Amino acid sequence: MATASLIINSTQISQGAEAKVYKSYVHTSFDSDAKVPILLKHRFKKQYRHPSLDTSLTRARVAGEARALLRCLRSGVSVPGIRMVDATESVLGIEWIEGKSVRMLLGGGAEGEDEQVLDPDQSFDDTTDASGESVSHLDPLEEYQVTIDGVMGLIGSEIAKMHKADVIHGDLTTSNMIIRHPFAAKGPSHTKLVLIDFGLAYTSSLVEDKAVDLYVLERAFASTHPDSEPMFFAVLEAYKNGTGKDWTAVERRLEDVRLRGRKRSMVG
Amino acid sequence: MPGTLKRSPLKRPERPYIALGLEGSANKLGAGIIQHDPDGSTTVLSNIRHTYITPPGEGFLPQDTARHHRQWIHSVIKDSLKQAGVGIQDLDCICFTKGPGMGAPLQSVALVARTLALMFNKPLVGVNHCVGHIEMGRQITGAQNPVVLYVSGGNTQVIAYSQQRYRIFGETLDIAVGNCLDRFARVINLSNDPSPGYNIEQEAKKGKKLLPLPYTTKGMDVSLSGILSATEAYTYDKRFSQSAEPSPENDTITPADLCFSMQETVFAMLVEITERAMAHIGSKEVLIVGGVGCNERLQDMMGIMARERGGNVFATDERFCIDNGIMIAQAGLLSYRMGSVTPLSETSCTQRFRTDEVHVAWRA
Repeated sequence: MATASLIINSTQISQGAEAKVYKSYVHTSFDSDAKVPILLKHRFKKQYRHPSLDTSLTRARVAGEARALLRCLRSGVSVPGIRMVDATESVLGIEWIEGKSVRMLLGGGAEGEDEQVLDPDQSFDDTTDASGESVSHLDPLEEYQVTIDGVMGLIGSEIAKMHKADVIHGDLTTSNMIIRHPFAAKGPSHTKLVLIDFGLAYTSSLVEDKAVDLYVLERAFASTHPDSEPMFFAVLEAYKNGTGKDWTAVERRLEDVRLRGRKRSMVG
Repeated sequence: MPGTLKRSPLKRPERPYIALGLEGSANKLGAGIIQHDPDGSTTVLSNIRHTYITPPGEGFLPQDTARHHRQWIHSVIKDSLKQAGVGIQDLDCICFTKGPGMGAPLQSVALVARTLALMFNKPLVGVNHCVGHIEMGRQITGAQNPVVLYVSGGNTQVIAYSQQRYRIFGETLDIAVGNCLDRFARVINLSNDPSPGYNIEQEAKKGKKLLPLPYTTKGMDVSLSGILSATEAYTYDKRFSQSAEPSPENDTITPADLCFSMQETVFAMLVEITERAMAHIGSKEVLIVGGVGCNERLQDMMGIMARERGGNVFATDERFCIDNGIMIAQAGLLSYRMGSVTPLSETSCTQRFRTDEVHVAWRA
């Protein structure tokens, strides 16, 4: 009940792959008027899924995400802190992180929908939609005081820490990593890069699972950011430094995964 | 990137262009003729298909499928020309499937394409089968820049366009979804006529129980082989009865229940990875192509998901979903109009041909 009213009083900021995401404000304590923002992730009922399949999946994912976050927090991986879990309403409340996703920072992805494709016979002036709105020309990398190499290093070292804690993310993409805005990242305890979205995460110490996790990220890099091979190489370098002696086994398995099955090239 | 304007590199044709497309990468043999007009419109002049149907419990083998294609290609091409009311002389180019697909059937059709090209002195255009599906889907539905779910007997991919390539965001880690359904149809001895997938869909409508099956999505990828094994395992269960009526009351497991459970689970996974790709790249349109794309339950589920996100779904019917010649003509003609022709020495076929290997010159 309380969760439902909390959501009503929040503003929806986006709809992710499986949840609606809200920004909400909560009191830090009973006697204080100060409010802090939190992020609410509501895994609403997916009408397309069979009800019993939906219920069991959603319950497993809310609990799984909370467990994975907790495990990461205990091992010092940079992830958002947990603020509340409501398993019956399928709502997870986590720390609000002010920043930008790595994908946005690198400007990757398929071309946006707002983009118009002109017929060759049409002139640019014909379209009324060409907004004269001035877009901020400040380079986001500059605004966030990071370099591409720096970001790649952070990605590699955070994933290394996470894998050392035997947490497998399950959906590593550049959308699921946030760089904190410099004014929000105070003090040395705040790492700039935060891993988010642990909905598909699970615990495993198998080299296979870690290699597949890295492979998923490699694929995401390749499809989202064309010509990203050197970038991903930098990620692996940092990962190697972070994992130490475990790296050889993961590296060998990653080679296997790359060669495996249809991912390389497929039949009919 | 709001407000960005891009000029389409494809010029309007100064005269009508006509192309013949030949497709035979699997058990469907197709010939289709398409026309692109100076006003920018596209007309399907003919779309003929002949399917190699095997007895229940059997799949199609490469050599037998190639034999079927060799037997039928003459009449299929003749019919397509007759229906379109054009002669081979009127064609601008002859398009054929270069891959991916089964080796022997691909070769038998490519041989016919080469022969026609030499006899009538027409240029050849080799086409990637997957790109053919995507271009035909875009043409028929009018979807501009959708996330594409390509589901067929040999392929399961989530694709989006970026910088002149169709990039693969997610795909199956093992078998294709159509392969999974077809093989299960063989296990329960469903007919292959008109297609095993269609008969599974009809059977699933009678299903009453959702049996637990593995649900394996990994990021934007899925794994399907375990589901096939798990569903097959239910047929050895004591509760399984091939002939019982499906009922929610008792605990018997019927073939209809298994078809229902398999469809619900597998399609939920496909819709989920499509949704994840949409969220990742920020798109609101989905286009379903490929043979499994004519399954109405899959279209329904995708429609509900798209509506929940404020978007919409585009799908085509069996004429364009299932492998056909017209899609090869469409993709081939687009590339021909951009000046691309396959020289005779490069008209070989390839069983392995990734969707993202093709340079999509005709899009901005």
